[in-house]
Formats: sequence, structure tokens, C-alpha cells
Amino acid sequence: MSRTTIPRSVDVLVIGTGFAGLGTAARLKREGTHSFLVLERADDVGGTWRDNTYPGAACDVPSHLYSFSFRPNPDWSRLFARQPEIHRYLRDTAREEGLLPHIRFGAEVRDARWDPAEGRWTVTTTRGVFTGRFLVTGAGHLSDHRLPDIPGIGDFGGPVFHSARWDHGTGLEGKRVAVVGSGASAVQIVPEVADSASQVTVFQRSAPYVVPRADRAYTETEQRVFRRDPEAVPAHRAEIFWYLEAGFAARRAAPHQLAEAKAAARAHLERQIADPALRQALTPDHELGCKRVLISDTYYPALTRDHVTLEPSALARVEPGKAIAASGAAHAVDVIVLCTGFETTEPPYARLVHDADGRSLADHWARGMEAFASTTVAGFPNLFLVNGPHTGLGHNSIVHVIEAQIDYLLGALAWSRAQGDRTVEVSAAAQERYAADLDRQARGTVWDGERCRSWYVDPRSKRVTLIWPDFADAFRHRNGTFDPAPYAATAG
Amino acid sequence: MTTPTDARTTEGSATVDGIRVRYLDSGEPDPGGEGDRPPLVLVHGTGGSIEREYGYLFPMLAARQRVVALDFAQPVPADGRLTLDQLERQVAAVCESVLPGRRVTLVGYSLGAVVATALAAHRPGLAVNLVAVAGWAATDTQQRLRGGVWRRLREDRSPALASYTAFCALGGPFLAAATLEQLAPLLEGQVPGDFDDLQMELNQSIDITALLPEVRATTLVIGCTHDQMVPVRHSKALFAAIPDARYTEVASGHAVLFERPAQLVQLIDRFNARPSAQPAGRVIPEARV
Repeated sequence: MSRTTIPRSVDVLVIGTGFAGLGTAARLKREGTHSFLVLERADDVGGTWRDNTYPGAACDVPSHLYSFSFRPNPDWSRLFARQPEIHRYLRDTAREEGLLPHIRFGAEVRDARWDPAEGRWTVTTTRGVFTGRFLVTGAGHLSDHRLPDIPGIGDFGGPVFHSARWDHGTGLEGKRVAVVGSGASAVQIVPEVADSASQVTVFQRSAPYVVPRADRAYTETEQRVFRRDPEAVPAHRAEIFWYLEAGFAARRAAPHQLAEAKAAARAHLERQIADPALRQALTPDHELGCKRVLISDTYYPALTRDHVTLEPSALARVEPGKAIAASGAAHAVDVIVLCTGFETTEPPYARLVHDADGRSLADHWARGMEAFASTTVAGFPNLFLVNGPHTGLGHNSIVHVIEAQIDYLLGALAWSRAQGDRTVEVSAAAQERYAADLDRQARGTVWDGERCRSWYVDPRSKRVTLIWPDFADAFRHRNGTFDPAPYAATAG
Repeated sequence: MTTPTDARTTEGSATVDGIRVRYLDSGEPDPGGEGDRPPLVLVHGTGGSIEREYGYLFPMLAARQRVVALDFAQPVPADGRLTLDQLERQVAAVCESVLPGRRVTLVGYSLGAVVATALAAHRPGLAVNLVAVAGWAATDTQQRLRGGVWRRLREDRSPALASYTAFCALGGPFLAAATLEQLAPLLEGQVPGDFDDLQMELNQSIDITALLPEVRATTLVIGCTHDQMVPVRHSKALFAAIPDARYTEVASGHAVLFERPAQLVQLIDRFNARPSAQPAGRVIPEARV
């Protein structure tokens, strides 16, 4: 099929080509729906795994689980694959599932609007206007990088870039590098940068919990078993899934399990950091799990190297050639790398998507993101958010959640067709009940309460809006199968 | 910050046959949304205790329903024998003391599943639902063979006893991903006491086959695919013989509470929310991941 044969008006428009977008597209295609287009702002597929090319980039969830259940990959090289391998997996998915003819690259969404007269979504992009009966957003939690407003950064005089937009043209050999942040990207970057830079200063606002990574390469024999025995990958995947799933008890703040998790992190710190002052500076001040728990065997050792300095405060301002910490300490640096994370609780796509009255999703979400079944929003017919509100996990694989959401939306599409192309709009009451239930479910977890400030929690309402506050399997159980009841009341 | 086992969890004891049986009671969970679920009563297996076996399940299940768990107590005077009947009376005594007049969901693991199943047959007014995890109806040759080796090692005070128990308890797929270093705490094990010996002896002569058709409770039978202590065929036999039973399997060894606690929590939680959601006779496939 050539590109020109797919018109600009289709059944389903999908935004993004990360795990959410490609997964949706692959399943549509497999189920025999060919009238769909995927809008991608970049010139390649892969989402966060295309954008994050920083040295040391790797996934913190084992790859056999962090991949589609319907596309097992026997060839994963290690337990935790690095970015190039994950990116290759997504590229292979796009090609082998026949999705490339459906993808419009360089099409950045500027506006999406529900047209009630036509019963269609009109999506305006940098490559023109597209329409679809259904709109699926697969924007992800870690797609729009967050650039903090640091006074003086414009006058720094040297290279400044975000970890998700790594400047491979800037060699760090022999340079003095400031790494701003100590989250998941920073702990992967610091050990790598320390190998080439002459000096590394890590600005740490809040010390993370770090636990052992226990990575290893798969042997040739294991890979051959994975290739020849069709049961082997699913069984291995299930072992990993249920091992990680047990970790939810610590997030639920079950006292014994939370204490055990903290003891494991503490033992890791004590094993790897001998200096009492450094140990003190690396001791977290928040509850374990409130922020993402990091897994690394190389971060702490990197901090003990002579040319690596931990600055235990935030970057406050920048002067030419200098990075000045909140503590007042001034560090002379040549390059600033911002490992400052992503826009999560107020995702940019919410400002672009509008209901029939022109009100944006962001306006609807003034108290924080919310969607029925974590997927559909009252007032936004035929819209499905994959990897949106209440889908993030602190303990297991997001791909599991994404696949459950895809099952749900495919069920909704099938129901709509069976009802004569009926509009799929959830009732506001059902959405409210769902949100209230999740608020209740979040109570008593490590994300709950005034003490937890993290990218999982909406800073305006203090509600836990990004995280799914339950087991991962509970997400599939509750939200993996479409039930038309909450949709039946709305006019078709 | 509240936790699932916050200050509301109380400890107490019920007296039966002249002995005190310790229990923990989570109290009622926060109200809202969950409907009216029967309380869960957790019954441990051979040589177990609330903390050793239900340390994960108790707080996690208590988020959505009241949970009571008990430690079996050694009958006095110990006349050299322990009977199923004595253990049944201990469970019933805790139920009557903590949850007078309430119908409960009995959850038993291993020997605890045998006790819970027998009690459900004898006291239909007490157990509205039953979950039998890695239970059995009649001890068979494979179990007697293992019991014989265990007894011999025990009599010899062999340091191999804990390793042998871990070897039998843990599933192959779980061991494939574990290192001996990770297992070290399990392999140290504690030396069994008199009461453990009595429970092992009881294990060797179980036969509740005739009781199974009498079980009126809505029942979920959970078998463990790689179980070498209570092979999965026993769970299938319970499923076959209990009239209102549905069946599912977990890909673990006998030590399912250790290998797959999160899976077990969700199976029990969902069952207790809607026990008849799956019809009697249904084999429920293991969760897709």
C-alpha cells in the first residue's frame, strides 16, 4: 500500500509513535482495521526511546516485560536493555507490523477539536489537517521535557542542553560538566560522563533512593531457548511481572514491606559509600516510593571519584562560566546538562485537545488530570487517552498498562460499530465515581499526604493523578475490558 | 499517613480446649465503594504463623476488607497426637470470639486449607466462602515419601533439614532466577519444635474425602503448578469434589505465599468481592501479563 492511498480522513487518528501509539496501531492493524493514521511530530518512531539518547540511557524495567506481549523478542541482549536496542525494537515493530504507510512524520499536532455535527475529530498539524472518527492520544508521561526557569542561564556562555535532547556535537572530553538533577536520567548519565569529563558536579535537590540493578546479559543458550520454545518468553515474562508486582506493598506503605525496601536501599548506600558526610548527603529525606526508586550499581561509585562532586542543593542561578547552587556554592563549569525531568501532571497535549465548545482538556483538568477507566473523558466523545491520567506505575511495567488500555479501546470501537457507529462518550457521573474511588485508593499510599512532592502528584490539588494507585494486574482487571454501561446514557 | 495495618489492627486471643489461640484483627477498612464483603479469616499451614505466612497478604487484603488471622496453638496436655478436629475448633473459636454471628470467607493455605475445608463442611453457617490454597483431601505416596525424609532428617537433627524444606517448597522457575545467596535466610531456617512435629504427623494421615461433598461454601481452589509438597493434582481433586468450586492455578511452587504473594492477594481480593462471578466448575485461566 502506498502512502497516498490513505486519505486524510480516517476511522482512527493516533498521536505518537512510542509504545502507546505503535501498540495501538499494531493492534488495530492486526484486528483488521486499516483506516487509521498515526501522527508523529519527529522524523522517526520511538517516542521517549527515540528522544533519550544520552550516554547510559537504559530502561529500569526488564526488557522481556518492557515489550509488547504480542511481540515477544527472544533476542534481548540483557535483562535491562539499553536505549538503542529498545529503539530498534520499536522500529522493527513499526516496519514488521506494516505501520509505516500509516505514519505521518513531521506532523506535530497544534490543535484537536471535536466536531459534533460531523461526529469527528479535526486535528490540525504542521503537515495539514486530518480528521478521524476516533482520536487516540499516546503522548506518554515522559515525552515533553521540563526546562526549569533558572536565572541567568541565557548568559552562561557555554553549551546547555536537556538530557532528552542530548547534544552529541558537544564533546565532554576534558570538560567541567554540571549535571542538574539526581533522578532516573541523572543516575544513568553521571557514571558515563564521569568517564570522560575532567570534572563533574551533580546538583541534587533531593537525594533519591537507589537500589541494586542486578543487570546481566542473557546467554546464547537462553536466547536459543526463547527462540525455539514458544512457552519460554511468556513464562519468563510472568516471573518478572509477579516479582515486580510484589513491590506494590511498599508503595501501599505496608509497614514491613516498606521497612524492608528502605533497608535494602540503605544497605546499598552503606555498601557503596564509605564517607559519612557523602552518605549523609545521599540519605533521602522523603518516603520511599514517593519519588521514583532508582536502580543503579554505578551511580554511587561514580560519586566517590575524585573529580566528581555532589552539590547537595538545587541549581539556583547561572553566571557566565559558573553554576551557583542554592547553598551559595559556586562551581566553575563548561557545560550544563539539565536532567530536570518531564512535564507530567500538566501534560502539554491537554492544552491542544478541545471539546465541542472549544474548552480544552487542560481547562477540564484544573484540579488535576482525570479520565474514566484512566482512558475516556466526559465531554470528549470518541477520545481515548493511552498512558494518560492514573496509569503510571512505580513498581511495574507501563507496557502492561498500555496493552490493557488498547484492549479497552478496541472493545469500545467494536461496540460503537456494532451500534451503528454510535458515539462513545462516558457519563460525567461515572468519571466522578471513578476518580473518587482512585482518590480513596491512593489514601495511605506513599504518594498520599503533604509530605510527598513528586511528579506523580498534582501540585495544585495534591491529588495523585499520574499514578495508578494499585497493583498493575488490577489495572487490567478493572480497565482492560470495555463495558458499555457507563456510556449507554449519553446520546448516540 | 495511615497504613493498611495502622493502629486499628488489634491482637488478642480466643480460648478453646483450655488453650489460648492468638489472633490479629485488622478491623473494618475505610468505608466507601467496596460494598459489603465478608471478613477474611486466614489459616496458616504446617509450622507456619501469621507473620511467617501472611506477612504480605494480611496488610494488603486489609485495605479492602476486614482480615482476621490466627496462630495455631499446641493443645495441652499433648497426648502425642494432634487431630484435625482440634485445629478446626481453634479456627471456629477465633471466628466466634472476634466475629460473633458473622459469616466469613475462610482462607487456608496447605494444612490450613485442609482445616478450612473441613470446617466449612462441618459449619456451613460459619463459612459462606472458602479459598483453599495448595490444599489436599487425602495424603498420597509422594507426600508420605517426603514426610519420611523430613522425619528422618529431623530425628537425626540434620543441618540439611532447612535446605531440604526449601528444596521441596520453592518452585523450579522461581529457583531458576534466584541465587543461593538470596536464599540464604531461608536455608538457615529454625529448628522445628514439638508442635511442628505434631503437625507434620497430622499431615501424613489426612483424609477428608468424605467431607468434600458437604462443603456448601462458594469455593475458590488455587493450585500451584510447580508444587512438590502438595502436587497440583490435589487441588484439582478438591475442585472436582467440592460442589460450588471454581479453580485457578498459580505458576509457583508450594511456597506461593513467598513466590507470588501479589498474585494471591489479587485472586483472593477479587473472589471475596464477587465470589460467584465465575460459575461453579469453571477453570479460570491464569492472569495475562
